[in-house]
Amino acid sequence: MNAHDEDRIKQLLKGAMPPISNAEPPCDLWPAMLRRLDAGPAAPPWFDWALAGGLVVFALALPASIPVFLYYL
Amino acid sequence: MNPHPYLRAFLAGAFVPTLVLPLMLTGFIVARLVLQVPFPIERGIVFPMALVPSLWALWNMLWLGSHARTHLALGIHGALLPLLLMPAGAILATSLGILSLGLSGVTWFHTVYLPYAWIAPVFLAVLAAYYLVWKYVVGFLNRTLGIA
Repeated sequence: MNAHDEDRIKQLLKGAMPPISNAEPPCDLWPAMLRRLDAGPAAPPWFDWALAGGLVVFALALPASIPVFLYYL
Repeated sequence: MNPHPYLRAFLAGAFVPTLVLPLMLTGFIVARLVLQVPFPIERGIVFPMALVPSLWALWNMLWLGSHARTHLALGIHGALLPLLLMPAGAILATSLGILSLGLSGVTWFHTVYLPYAWIAPVFLAVLAAYYLVWKYVVGFLNRTLGIA
């Protein structure tokens, strides 16, 4: 590979990967990142609350199921 | 860097049944030694003590190993475990004499009678309980141990 080929490859590479224009983000992203980090875990969805409530009602309605539950834990 | 992720998954998976076991042992000891229940309920400890914690641990390791391919949520993955556990537990309980099958229902520990009509609701309730425990408790442990 001579110098001419190297220059040709450089030109091709530069043509394939044009320089990024406007590389800066439109606003400062760090405050949003801090807010995300400070936010606690998401609250359980209503479906999970309903499921937990249903389990409590079920155990109260059928106490005989409690030893079976414990057997499988 | 996350060394030994499968060991962490094993420990996180075995955590919940290991916590429940002393409570069960206490109940069994009170029933057997204090209340003098005539049935040898210590036979019933074999399944929850020997198999359930190991299966939970292996199930969590399986989730860790397969999550990249399946993208299955941890709660759903945990809710699938009773499909394996309940038949195995019932077969073992029957062979140990803890569970007896009758004409209209089953009897656990010679005292707890459960009609056949209640088997499906109990099964669904166990699935729901597993879903919640795996989603919130095992999920919390996995996050704490850095594997989720």
